[in-house]
Amino acid sequence: MLPQVLKTSDLGAWVEALMAESRVAAPVLKETNVSDPTDLKFGWQYVPDPADVRLDYTVTVLGPKKFLWPPRQKLVRYNLGAGAEPEAIIDHEPHVLLGVHPCDITAIATLDAAFAKDVPDPHYLARRSDTAIIGLDCGAPCDESSFCLDMGSLYPESGFDVMLTPLGDAYFVEVATQLGEALVEAAVVRPATKQDMEAHQAFAEEKRSDFHYKLPYELKYLPEILDASYDSLVWEAIARQCFSCGSCNIACPTCYCFDVYDEVEVDLSKGCRVRRYDSCQLDPFAEVAGGENFRQERASRLRHRMFRKGKYILEQTGRVGCVGCGRCERACVAGISIKDTYVQIAGSR
Amino acid sequence: MTQTDIEKGAAAASPYVPKMARIVAADQMTETERFFRLEMEGEPLAYEPGQFVGVTVFGVGESPISICSSPTQGERIELTIRSVGLVTGALRTFEAGDRLGIRGPFGNGFDTGAMKGQDVLFVAGGLGLAPTRSLIRYVLDKREDFGKVTILAGAREPNLLLFREEIAEWVERSDADTLVTVNQPDKDWKGNVGVITRLFKQVEIDPARTCAVIVGPPVMFKFAVLEALAAGVPEHRIICSLERHMKCGVGKCGHCQIRGVYVCRDGPVFTYEQVKRLREGI
Amino acid sequence: MADKPTLAFFSLACCEGCQLQVLACEEKLLPILEKADIVRFREASDGDADHYDVTFVEGSIVTAHDLERIKEIRAKTDTLVALGACATIAGVNAVKNFQDPDDVAAYVYGDKKEWFPHIAARPLKAEVPVDVEIHGCPINSDEFLEVVTCLLMGKPYRQPNYPVCVDCKLAGNVCLWNKGIPCLGVVTRAGCAPLMCPSAGHKCIGCRGLVDNPNTQAAKDVMAEFGLTVDDVLREFRLFQGIYDEVAKEA
Repeated sequence: MLPQVLKTSDLGAWVEALMAESRVAAPVLKETNVSDPTDLKFGWQYVPDPADVRLDYTVTVLGPKKFLWPPRQKLVRYNLGAGAEPEAIIDHEPHVLLGVHPCDITAIATLDAAFAKDVPDPHYLARRSDTAIIGLDCGAPCDESSFCLDMGSLYPESGFDVMLTPLGDAYFVEVATQLGEALVEAAVVRPATKQDMEAHQAFAEEKRSDFHYKLPYELKYLPEILDASYDSLVWEAIARQCFSCGSCNIACPTCYCFDVYDEVEVDLSKGCRVRRYDSCQLDPFAEVAGGENFRQERASRLRHRMFRKGKYILEQTGRVGCVGCGRCERACVAGISIKDTYVQIAGSR
Repeated sequence: MTQTDIEKGAAAASPYVPKMARIVAADQMTETERFFRLEMEGEPLAYEPGQFVGVTVFGVGESPISICSSPTQGERIELTIRSVGLVTGALRTFEAGDRLGIRGPFGNGFDTGAMKGQDVLFVAGGLGLAPTRSLIRYVLDKREDFGKVTILAGAREPNLLLFREEIAEWVERSDADTLVTVNQPDKDWKGNVGVITRLFKQVEIDPARTCAVIVGPPVMFKFAVLEALAAGVPEHRIICSLERHMKCGVGKCGHCQIRGVYVCRDGPVFTYEQVKRLREGI
Repeated sequence: MADKPTLAFFSLACCEGCQLQVLACEEKLLPILEKADIVRFREASDGDADHYDVTFVEGSIVTAHDLERIKEIRAKTDTLVALGACATIAGVNAVKNFQDPDDVAAYVYGDKKEWFPHIAARPLKAEVPVDVEIHGCPINSDEFLEVVTCLLMGKPYRQPNYPVCVDCKLAGNVCLWNKGIPCLGVVTRAGCAPLMCPSAGHKCIGCRGLVDNPNTQAAKDVMAEFGLTVDDVLREFRLFQGIYDEVAKEA
């Protein structure tokens, strides 16, 4: 399908049409700062009403990852007593993620790669295959914390079914997949004209001048720079401020470590195996049953996260683990910044 | 990744569903270690020495446990479980006839092919004897495939020594040298006394053709490696099995990760050459 | 019936709100009542027994009489569960430990203060072995049910060992610190979700006690950055984290 144009005033009708087919998740306004009405807080939710969708959103605490990979997910159910008969719980239904920024599109592609690698994880992949992604291009950086340009997540070439680019009172609509075509068929759109194409081009050019590199080196050197920093005193220094509270991991759109535990119903008749988000920053993360903790030092856990984001996930999936969205920095009470850390280690020994 | 890949993934069986196994024998080996022989209710488990399984106590949870038997022993699998946690604590009361869930086998196992024709030196301390026994049994069952076999086993106290009867059989064998030591003897102990590295004095190592398999608590491992290196065994022929916190067994959950390596998938068996490079390995 | 485990509930110095949280489980309590007998529960019924398999005790020890009672209860109990902040960390009762004891007695009992000899407030574990702790002011009903389920199955209960931040982020909350509100969630043990204070816009005041190995120094540094003095910081920590080591010294 050739590029289309959707009038902003027709967005609500499109969302309503999509909602008739499946659930639609999108950014909505969560709260407004009482002392500063321009300071709006957005969050991703399944929208009850098309009017709630806020495509003018900037940042969210959690990305759309939670719809693909729920913070708490039942994996297996079984009986207690004579025959356990364990069976997998594959919980999925079609849904649309509307308004996904380039950084989150990139992050989802990284999760796809991680969960499909080696032994595929059907609990994630089933939900993923039932997910339609409508991207939303950004014209300007969210804030100081973001460094998506450095991390190569500003221009995703794939990983979305439709991409919207805001052009004043309309959206330029690019269709990337068959599924995307089906989605756009539900909208009142018109084919893009030459002027629309030019406006789209102008948006891209303006965007290019609005984003600036923040790292003093190219992304391809990051793994090497991390390796050289392994014994640096930087880690100890940063860790002094670190609470090991796990906020960075929870907010991260590519973190996929999890804890697994069993739950039992109060009448003791049935149980299930559940996984939930875990954090490598928490004290017991690497502790074995006998009590030995292989990353007992706060600094070694902090370093592990920075390495994982910049090197290990890249080695595992071929995709760098950090998309530069800035969520971990915004979530950190101590103000620890992955971007500043990556700058700092380049100059440290 | 393409759509079809995703669909294939969804159709595949979940790697998180345990298969059912029945306990055919259970034995309290020491105050904290319990031995189980299991029979899978469906297909027998195809495994290599050094691999591990996830053992499920339904309603309680799952724990990663080394297989301590060798595939040469037949279709049943044997586990030695130390009661230190939630799941392993619950297993204290499990008896023959009870049923468990099993996932796996996971991990790489020992590279028996690479050891063929070599002398094999086993150094096993404490619970490290469990995964090592898997390979010891394998090597003894395929004795003609290997050169000289030396087994050094150690425990803190005599009553903590695992597989005592079996070790006694190994001691009797003329085609293997087996030495045992304890750190703190009791009044009945007649054997060697002291840390396991003291046994190195009593064995002859031909570094040109020896594989040293060293499994035990981190402190023991560190010093046993120094002994092996001092004897001239090259780093790539010093082999160990690492213990880590594990939740998934399939390289996803992140708990067992050491730098870029997932112990559950890339290990638990590593050469010292690899472990040394990992830095956080021991 | 005799084979069913027996459960008992007792209150020391507290508001008895934790027992109300137990009753708030309502129909979810029914499966438990099929598996166990509640032999003592003042908020719900009369009756008593000579021995309890599991005893839930809420409240702090604040008088010599409380001391005797908890020792009696312990002697009749197999598994002792400390129920709520007063029982686990001395709760708000410990605020009095930082005041002059005479002033406290006079403030509460006036000229009758001699009639009520009191000691420094302390959690149960300061005086008797405690097997399980359910933190919170009040406790979380879901956690209570989980603990009971574990006890009925004979498996140990593992309390959450991560800070409130984890659940708070999962709730998608904007960090209160970002709004200039000093919140103790960074060092406080989680387990209160989904009813956590920050989700209602209120700062965490640490009712579930400290998580293992908290970085309290970083907490103080961050608070200082927000212009709080050492006294402010200590006051923040004191509402619930009444330091019972000091209590023991005073006693």
